[in-house]
Amino acid sequence: MWKKEIRLAGSGGQGLGFAAMVLADAAIKAGLHVSTLQSYGPEARGGASRSDVTLSDEDIANPWFSKPSVLLALNEKAWIKYGPQLGEEDWVLVDSDWVNIPAGRTIFRLPLERIAKTELREKLTTNMVAVGALGALVGHIPLSALMEAARFRAPKGFGGINQDAVKRGWELMEDLRGGVKDANARGA
Amino acid sequence: MAIELVSGNEACARGAIAAGCNFFGGYPISPSSEIAETLAKLLPERQGIFIQMEDEMASVGSVLGASLGGAKAMTATSGPGFTLMQEHLGYATLAEIPCVVVDVMRVGPSTGVPTAPSQGDVMQARWGSHGDREVAVLAPASVKEIYDMTVNAFNIAERLRTPVVLMFDEVLAHMREGVELFQPSVEELWSRPRPVDHPSSTFQPYSPNSEGVALMPNFGDGYHFHVTGLMHNEKGFPTTHPETIRQLMARLKRKMEPLPLWLPAEHYRLKDAEVAVVAYGITARVAKEAVDRLRDQGILAGVYRPRILWPVGRSDLIETLGKFQSIVVAEMNQGQWVEVVERYLPNSVRVLLQSKLGGEPMTTEEILDGCREFVKKGVRAL
Repeated sequence: MWKKEIRLAGSGGQGLGFAAMVLADAAIKAGLHVSTLQSYGPEARGGASRSDVTLSDEDIANPWFSKPSVLLALNEKAWIKYGPQLGEEDWVLVDSDWVNIPAGRTIFRLPLERIAKTELREKLTTNMVAVGALGALVGHIPLSALMEAARFRAPKGFGGINQDAVKRGWELMEDLRGGVKDANARGA
Repeated sequence: MAIELVSGNEACARGAIAAGCNFFGGYPISPSSEIAETLAKLLPERQGIFIQMEDEMASVGSVLGASLGGAKAMTATSGPGFTLMQEHLGYATLAEIPCVVVDVMRVGPSTGVPTAPSQGDVMQARWGSHGDREVAVLAPASVKEIYDMTVNAFNIAERLRTPVVLMFDEVLAHMREGVELFQPSVEELWSRPRPVDHPSSTFQPYSPNSEGVALMPNFGDGYHFHVTGLMHNEKGFPTTHPETIRQLMARLKRKMEPLPLWLPAEHYRLKDAEVAVVAYGITARVAKEAVDRLRDQGILAGVYRPRILWPVGRSDLIETLGKFQSIVVAEMNQGQWVEVVERYLPNSVRVLLQSKLGGEPMTTEEILDGCREFVKKGVRAL
């Protein structure tokens, strides 16, 4: 059985609930079983926010997980809160401008918000850059499904830029993983 | 139909539409508000009526009025609103007015934690209204089942002329799952029994058919009938005649008897089990995972999941669980349905309550802890 428990963590207003739905929509298109849960409260007005997505190739008996196997941390607080739960084999993707941890075998650093601001010229697409990067990391979901979901869920006028953001995030993660593999090879 | 990502509350609203609901009267309250929000959009598009009332008492009042006028009517609320609705629910039971009330449970008592889940309203659903009444309470455990059971709730309400309560919790309400939702066929949708004869002065609005249910005309159809919260005879007029009251009470109870057969409990890996976990709603999902983990370790465990909490499916409960020496009842409250298990099972069955409070769902580990207590003591099924 293949199963990933993905936690998207950051601040209210960063669109983590939306990102979870895009990931889940794309996973359904890819034939996977999905469930999502998100922190429920006044998060849209700020404060800590979190969304959980479970992906599996089998029925998901229990949608509630106490510890993620993949963590996205968009800020230091999210990393401090959920980082210590991770095991050695669990993956983490952090926004490298906001979270101060060194890269590692399972720790992936990308300047997600900076890419959204400078390359896509829209800070709001940070969540979609992250979705693309997570998709490339987790596997089992093709880029085309992620891009389609990002367009389908987008508010009017955001479909195109969402797709670009997802694609850019995917490419950056592929480069990063390639680099990590090279580094590991060199190390060996 | 295709698989789509749907939340529990949205599934409930869409289930209502699929069942033919054409009236919603409600007052928004966390964590149920998305049901009202979704129906506020869907109903007017289908010539249905959505009305936001001034409070929960008025909400259920509007639902009962609409139902008497012939509508398939529902409301949705959470604990504090459910409390306010209790008097009208009793009225609906005695006056036999079909309606569906959804209670999305949050942490209580009182305002509690509006945004966190619990299973604290189980006994309120049973005994919340005064008098001595039989109730119908359904407990779905997934987004798909919320959709299907909303249809079931309307079917039961209409066929048996009774209020039906559908209860789940904040996590199920806001959880999204990939589901395929099927429109039930016309044959799968039940309607209230209606009189076919021309209205006449001999019409008896509370004279039961073979199922113990009386024919129900709509207000405005031309039939003269009287609806009251007083004990009444078959003409619908008040009575204090003891035998008439006894017969009415017996009929109201008897007509609900088939419910546990219509929605039987789920038996998950129980056949060869030595330890059983009893759980409903979201907690049953966690229990299944715990049971799978126990089996990986060689401990034979299973889950008994009632789909309908009231009336209790006594014979299945006793037959299935009476042979066990050890049963763990897992609930997100201080012990409510555990009293049912204790009441109906023989004394030879040791029942342990695994309770979870505080606004977080039960975890797999907590259910495992409960089961391990028994395994440690070397307890086995008979």
